[in-house]
Amino acid sequence: MSLHTLLVDTKEEKISSEKAKKFILSEENGAESIFIGRVRNENSGKKVKAVTYDAHDKAVLKSFKTICDDAKSKFDKNAKVFLEHAKGYVPVGEISILIAVSSGHRDEAFKICRYILEEIKHKSPIWKQEHYADGKEEWLPGHSLRPKEEVK
Amino acid sequence: MEIELKLFGSSKILSENDTLLIEVSDNSNIKELRQKLEKLITEKYSKNNLNNLANTAAFFCKDDEIIDDNYKLKDKELISIIPPIGGG
Repeated sequence: MSLHTLLVDTKEEKISSEKAKKFILSEENGAESIFIGRVRNENSGKKVKAVTYDAHDKAVLKSFKTICDDAKSKFDKNAKVFLEHAKGYVPVGEISILIAVSSGHRDEAFKICRYILEEIKHKSPIWKQEHYADGKEEWLPGHSLRPKEEVK
Repeated sequence: MEIELKLFGSSKILSENDTLLIEVSDNSNIKELRQKLEKLITEKYSKNNLNNLANTAAFFCKDDEIIDDNYKLKDKELISIIPPIGGG
């Protein structure tokens, strides 16, 4: 198996880099690239205490598979890819996304990791609601999936 | 007729439930659903972050595929509203 994708319900478990490292380990792949995204304590001058991630589960998992398959086709079909994204409440400092890739060479490992991250931001139906230290909360703006020519 | 709108992201502000029932005229399409939604947001939910939601959102049918503005809605159909996304 060369691909693992999952939406992790934060009420039940946390995203673990150890699991990712074990999954991508392969004697055929000499390069490993791991991207970890964590919730920051500040955004646009506001003190953030946590982020809630909402997701359209079925569409997200479908998009994850398509994105990862595309990345492998483009850069290295023998790459092993581990991708997990949080769903639910994630306090500052905890992992929201983890992408781990092993590949034949470093260039492909870096490229696959970056490609997957950027594509998720534009294709996977996931939303962020920031919770601030002052008690307020806000859904963040994002990328519209409506065809550009239709948006007024 | 009535449409059941499944709410995601910022659209969750529209209801405490996971879905919102919206009355639309018979034979309405997504374009008319957008207009109805815009009116509803303006009249009842003039809250932050909903600006332009009716215009920027995409909609999924039950197969989780994006549907365009000409998509004909059916009575009691479940439609997902997909506000602008931003994971990672």
